[in-house]
Amino acid sequence: MTQMPMRRVAVLGGTRIPFCRSHTAYAELSNLDMLTAALCGLADRFGLAGAHIDEVVGGAVITHAKDWNLAREAVIGSSLARTTPGITMMQACGTSLQAALGLAAKIATGQIESGIAMGSDTTSDAPIVFQKKFAKRLVKASRAKSLGQRVGAFKGMAPGELAPLPPDTREPRTGLGMGEHCELMAKEWGISRQDQDILAFESHCKAAAAYDEGFMDDLVVPNAGLFRDNNIREDASLEKLAELKPVFDKSGGTITAGNSTPLTDGAATVLLASEKWAKSKEIPIQAYLTLGRTSAVDYVEGEGLLMAPTVAVSELLDQAGLALQEFDYYEIHEAFAAQVLATLKAWESEAYCRDRLGRNAPLGTIDQAKMNVKGSSIAFGHPFAATGARILSVLAKLLHSGCGQRGLISVCTAGGMGVAAILEGVEAQGTGGSEAKEMGAA
Amino acid sequence: MPITLPDLKDWTFSVDFEGIAWAIIDRQGESMNSLGRSAIEELGEIVEALEQAQAGEVKGLVLMSGKDSGFIAGADIREFKGFDTEETVKEVVKQTIELFDRIEALPMPVVVAIHGYCLGGGLELALACDWRIADREEGTRLGFPEVKLGIFPGLNGTVRAIRVAGPMDAMTAMLTGRMLRPGAARAMGLVDQLVPTRHNLRWAARKAVLQKRRSKGAPWWKKLMAKQPVRGMLAKQMRAKTAEKVREDHYPAPFRLIDLFELHGDDLAAMKRAETEMFAPLMASETSRNLRRVFGLSEMLKDAAPKNGFRPRKVHVIGAGTMGADIAAWCVVSGMQASLQDLDQGQIEKGIHRAKKLFKKRLRGKTAFDSGVARLIADPGGKQIKHADVIIEAIIEKLDVKQKLFADLETKAKPGAVLATNTSSLKLEDIAKPLKDPGRLVGLHFFNPVAQLPLVEVVHGEGTREEEVGKACRFVTAINKLPLVVKSCSGFLVNRVLAPYMMEAVRLYQDGQPREKIDQAALKFGMPMGPMELMDMVGLDICNKVGEELNLAPKTDGASDNVLASLVNQGKLGKKTGEGFYVWEDGKPKRDAEATFDDAELARLGRELVQPLLDETARAEADGIVKDADHVDAGVIFGTGFAPFRGGPLHYRKSQDANAAGKAAA
Repeated sequence: MTQMPMRRVAVLGGTRIPFCRSHTAYAELSNLDMLTAALCGLADRFGLAGAHIDEVVGGAVITHAKDWNLAREAVIGSSLARTTPGITMMQACGTSLQAALGLAAKIATGQIESGIAMGSDTTSDAPIVFQKKFAKRLVKASRAKSLGQRVGAFKGMAPGELAPLPPDTREPRTGLGMGEHCELMAKEWGISRQDQDILAFESHCKAAAAYDEGFMDDLVVPNAGLFRDNNIREDASLEKLAELKPVFDKSGGTITAGNSTPLTDGAATVLLASEKWAKSKEIPIQAYLTLGRTSAVDYVEGEGLLMAPTVAVSELLDQAGLALQEFDYYEIHEAFAAQVLATLKAWESEAYCRDRLGRNAPLGTIDQAKMNVKGSSIAFGHPFAATGARILSVLAKLLHSGCGQRGLISVCTAGGMGVAAILEGVEAQGTGGSEAKEMGAA
Repeated sequence: MPITLPDLKDWTFSVDFEGIAWAIIDRQGESMNSLGRSAIEELGEIVEALEQAQAGEVKGLVLMSGKDSGFIAGADIREFKGFDTEETVKEVVKQTIELFDRIEALPMPVVVAIHGYCLGGGLELALACDWRIADREEGTRLGFPEVKLGIFPGLNGTVRAIRVAGPMDAMTAMLTGRMLRPGAARAMGLVDQLVPTRHNLRWAARKAVLQKRRSKGAPWWKKLMAKQPVRGMLAKQMRAKTAEKVREDHYPAPFRLIDLFELHGDDLAAMKRAETEMFAPLMASETSRNLRRVFGLSEMLKDAAPKNGFRPRKVHVIGAGTMGADIAAWCVVSGMQASLQDLDQGQIEKGIHRAKKLFKKRLRGKTAFDSGVARLIADPGGKQIKHADVIIEAIIEKLDVKQKLFADLETKAKPGAVLATNTSSLKLEDIAKPLKDPGRLVGLHFFNPVAQLPLVEVVHGEGTREEEVGKACRFVTAINKLPLVVKSCSGFLVNRVLAPYMMEAVRLYQDGQPREKIDQAALKFGMPMGPMELMDMVGLDICNKVGEELNLAPKTDGASDNVLASLVNQGKLGKKTGEGFYVWEDGKPKRDAEATFDDAELARLGRELVQPLLDETARAEADGIVKDADHVDAGVIFGTGFAPFRGGPLHYRKSQDANAAGKAAA
């Protein structure tokens, strides 16, 4: 078999629908509706109606059994050519970033020319299922050959079995919710309530400013009568944030509804391609996706559940031969303000970097003025699987605007995992010439 | 031998390996399918081929559309031109009726799968099929819009609709001309099966053929409604309801349809025969011809908007008075985002409060309402200017203020955004003077109340670029209004022709005609509202000012004011102050209930009242302030509500002259 030389992976830009707090404007919409709308928006923006894309990859975290072929169904419902395959995959909050990394590897190795990474989530249309015991009875009844067998399947049934099970986002192995885990991290790392509130406040201010200056204009397409995210608080104030009560630990906690992400409905997409394909479609390249890494921590034995990005970034930097400070932009997904702050503290901690990351020196401090410059998930909201694509779109556009040449992404996910990636600007890659790092997805 | 029909142009026909025949309508050179002569003839060929097919060779026939825009939007109205005698009408419909009967008689199941529009003749064709499937997509609509054209379904649709939906639902659909969503059509029985998307149609149709599905028709309890004495009561009720909406002397079609139902509602075979007898005179009538003309005029106005390119989504309105705020609210109802700017925060709040009332009516459901509220942005600081695709100024009518505003807007607006003024009394050219690019400014003249009136005058100043006019027209159609391009001149078209009409009413009133009589005369002529009531609604101060500006105010014999000026001096300005020509209570004028007048006298007075409007319309045409006579008629009909069944003022004048000439000759 012939081995193709590695190719650069171009990020051409992303489009998403406005994100909405759950049970608001998208209360009637399903993941399929939202993904389809976001794909149509992307196709519209890049003139891809009727165009064949080699692979469309993505999924949703909170999903119905009937949506087992979600990505492909969304493709069929969109304006893309119906010959476009859709592959449903999921890695919790890292879904669409991981989808992008997978596509990037295939583009780099010449397997495909174009791909769309995407994700959607809704907690408004959450699947509600029967308990295992009752579900088993139903399966048994459906396989029954006689009336007797059918009736027999329900023998000895207790009324309690009928109570449905709502979807549960708690960690199966710890029984703790994401917020409760993050509350533990905040305590472990000594993250103050005030620092969390400041980070949340700034996220809202930066996101509102991004809309004001028109930065979001081509990133967001109207959907269901909505033109922009409905979670951003232009009137956010530190005083108001300080008044909120802790949610997860009522007595001594620091995490509030204000300094964490709300439950959100929404979908996002991002278009990746080889340079050849981009040129043939006359779509300008915004940035290159050069490296990615997924890591996990052993939270079962007590590590911080959302600390995996510290590991993923550390390993990524080793691979890239870069220092943490050699970036112009940092996109650190804000699951919770405390999660971001704990991550930053860990990178600064000599002990953590030595003992956990195996480094002889701390990764060090980052310039927070370069972090989440257009706001992040606390303001925009966080439809789990959609967030990676949202961040890729924002960072690619930032690099395209020419004010910086390298950006770092990190996203924490359920199950103690983290996904990290590096995007480089066209100029850095262009002048880098042969020296430019080729793509090697983890 | 497999059946092939390779020479079809409006349809494609094929029989697949399972023995299912697929007839796909995709009319050549048309963006939307209509049931024109060639489409009907080709469908005849298809039916003939199936009639001659050997038993078992074809398992069933599926009718579908090859166009995204929909199934069939109705008959081809362009072909109605020749239908001027009852005999030609009867002859033409007879052929189609026979074809539909043959489709119904085909031995194999016939299934129709509907996406998008399925209206009028298209729905009548669907009703001749055995099984109707529609998708639930957003744009799918079924309905009988015929009454709006002065007719009713004439291809036996009246009979078949009653057969499947029962008399109540079928008659309501035909009398109102309402466009039904798929869910409503299914609930009535016009459709047998719904599928979620258009992609499901083909497969649902295949299954329906293989399962030999046939519509069962309306349930027994619905059919009971067609029996006497219920039918007579229903007919009476329908007549009363219809009379609330339209006058029988102006719009006979719905009343004839009710007659048809009352006479034959329980004998569908007899109804079938009678349908054509009652349909033909309507179709050949002047009323229907005029209404078809009006429909054509509305399409003509829409055509002024370029189909591609400019896509307005965000609108910024400066000036939150009644007009400005209502424009913003209407844009939101049409799906756009609108920001509302005013120096007075209280005005913005008032505007938003009024907008919410409109949203309650127009945006059904909590989520739609909430999104609407979110799309209407209070923007006292003008932060949205730079994002707006269209910027509309609706502030005080002072030249220097407007000039300053637009000079400033020009520096802030994004390139390509439309800059528009809603001025009605200042010259567009003067406002544009200080601009670096004066060719960018257009006028967008809305009418009050914005939500009700369908016309917007797009003012083409001397220096305005064509491209900007086109973009403005595109914006107007995007908010579901009709754009009329007018030259920049005093009163444009609509106010120019309305003013003499209203002043004529003032003169008649001053000369002793009762206000009720004047208003009734106008209604008798076919105006949607009497001029006295209209002036009270507009505001007598405004009417008086316009009258004086155009030098039309009625003359008085001596030093005393005319009646309009004296009412204004007394502070009686109409509805807004509680009294004008009428005393207003709860938003309604108090009329003298005793006042009844002779019909012939009302007709005479109506003509007298309208004469100045007709004369001014002719002058406006001569001055060339709009493209041509049809545009004049279109503007006056959609801008003033001028009796649509009369086909427009110029058209009416011409036919009056022709009548007079005819009488003279005889």
